[in-house]
Amino acid sequence: MSARAASAEVGYGPLVATLAALMLAAALASLMIGYARLDVPAALADVFAGRSTAAAVVLEQIRLPRAALGAMVGFSLGLAGAALQGLLRNPLADPGVIGVSGGAALGAVVVFYSGLAGAFALAMPLGGVVGAIVAALLLYALVGRGAGTMTLILAGVTVNSFAGALTALALNLSPNPYAAYEIMFWLMGSLADRSLPQLWLALPLTVAGWALLLMSAPALDALTLGEDTAASLGFDLGQLRAQLVAGAALAVGAAVAVTGAIGFVGLVAPHLLRPLVGNRPGRLLLVSGLGGAIVLLAADVAVRLIPVHPELKLGVATALIGAPLLYGLIDRMRREA
Amino acid sequence: MRACAVVWLCVALLASPAFAKPQRVVSLNLCADELALRLADPGVVKSVTWLSQDSRSANMAAMAAALPANDGHAEEALAYHPDLVLVGPFADPASIALLKEVGAPVVEVGAPQTLDGVRRQIRDLAATLGEPRRGEALIADMEARLASVAVDPSQPRLKAVVLRPNGFTVGPGSLVDEILTRAGLDNLAARLDIAADQQVPLEVVALLGADVLILDRDEQSAPSLADAALDHPAIAALARRMTIVSLPSRLWTCGGPEIVEAVERLAAAAKAARAREATQ
Repeated sequence: MSARAASAEVGYGPLVATLAALMLAAALASLMIGYARLDVPAALADVFAGRSTAAAVVLEQIRLPRAALGAMVGFSLGLAGAALQGLLRNPLADPGVIGVSGGAALGAVVVFYSGLAGAFALAMPLGGVVGAIVAALLLYALVGRGAGTMTLILAGVTVNSFAGALTALALNLSPNPYAAYEIMFWLMGSLADRSLPQLWLALPLTVAGWALLLMSAPALDALTLGEDTAASLGFDLGQLRAQLVAGAALAVGAAVAVTGAIGFVGLVAPHLLRPLVGNRPGRLLLVSGLGGAIVLLAADVAVRLIPVHPELKLGVATALIGAPLLYGLIDRMRREA
Repeated sequence: MRACAVVWLCVALLASPAFAKPQRVVSLNLCADELALRLADPGVVKSVTWLSQDSRSANMAAMAAALPANDGHAEEALAYHPDLVLVGPFADPASIALLKEVGAPVVEVGAPQTLDGVRRQIRDLAATLGEPRRGEALIADMEARLASVAVDPSQPRLKAVVLRPNGFTVGPGSLVDEILTRAGLDNLAARLDIAADQQVPLEVVALLGADVLILDRDEQSAPSLADAALDHPAIAALARRMTIVSLPSRLWTCGGPEIVEAVERLAAAAKAARAREATQ
């Protein structure tokens, strides 16, 4: 195992640079590809010249937030997945699988449909964050440290289905006749027609979450040696847990409040990239975030190219790739056990 | 002898089906609610749907609010021992079968796709309710108002596109399409190669090059993503380039007399758009 990992390992610097370049290319593709024919260079010239032509409006207000949110949300999901997997020492700990995304969707739904979202600007992303924290705490109370895979997955299924049921209930209680039909968006996620203000609102909470997660890298590496060894190296495990849960909740909660819950990104990205960083959970964080951004941007370009109306929800596209992967992962774990 | 004959004739007429006015009408559909409340005598309509009681989305909310509401289920209608049940075009066939089985007369109020169809529907329902004169009066009022919005044929027609909640637009061959035409607007959706109502991405709407953008929007409705799609900042940014008009959905959801107000408001918007183009 370690020999195979070592042989696949590439330099960390070049790997990060390559992934960052791929992410930029995917973001550029997301800007260029859309439903209407848009002369992107001309539109860009209009934007910089301050001319509010229709093309400039489309580029600045529709394509740009879509691409930027795709990168931001994908990074959050990939990073949070890698961090939670490091903390729980379990490769199945994806924010979607264990119910953190579902809790975030519930929080955002309650804030939005009750009308609280209009009370103050940050209400919506904060609703997502609170929902994510509650789900993470519920999960942690059930799983604790060092629980088996079975317990983790069962606890995740429980939290997920409970959050999903409460989300459906909240939508049904809304007096707006459209609300009940919007469960698809919250459970499957979409980047269609998102806006710049949504990006600006989610960004500060997201960046705070990223910082908390990325700073935990050394502690996560130490944790691979066992909790006692990590503690003897001077890492406070209680503090690490709080830091990771808060970081994941901030990043995932803010993301889900804007795009709905998008599954499997936090599972696919760490899984594909883990061998390339020599199975070091600390190094996996940034790499997995970039990988998540690439996966989500690619999925979002794909749903715009597939001629299906209305547009496929993003969670459908990511599940088509992610679910077989999860299946294979469980199968391998079963055999190794 | 002659007086006797006249009295006899009157009695015969009153006993004939045309004069047997339904006395206990229950409506299970928003559009049927509104037409029935406009046409029937007070007290005849016993129950309407809960949707009609919301003044944000219904035209006859004040009258509807005084009546018991139903959720559109057949068994709710039966509780009123109705002699006429009005249903919508998408009513569950099982519900209609149930109503017919217990002997309640069921009449469907459809969704007319032309102005002619709207007139016919008013006339038909008025006859069913035994109020043909009220029906004709309603139609005459519509005609008079439509005539006053006559469009100058010498002027070039403006290009318009409709954006409804969830990003739906309205295709050609629909009642809304005819409403636009009456107001002096050409529906750009005809260029999009879509047969009926279909979702259109916002960027496509933005780049269509419309003079007038018509938003189907209710003020102060409870929040939903469907309605939020119409609050996208790109639309506000486009206001510098085109005239944007909001029409509450109650004016054009049903094919009732209220569509005349939709024509009037759109004609006013078209006038504003022309004036704006003249100054630019």
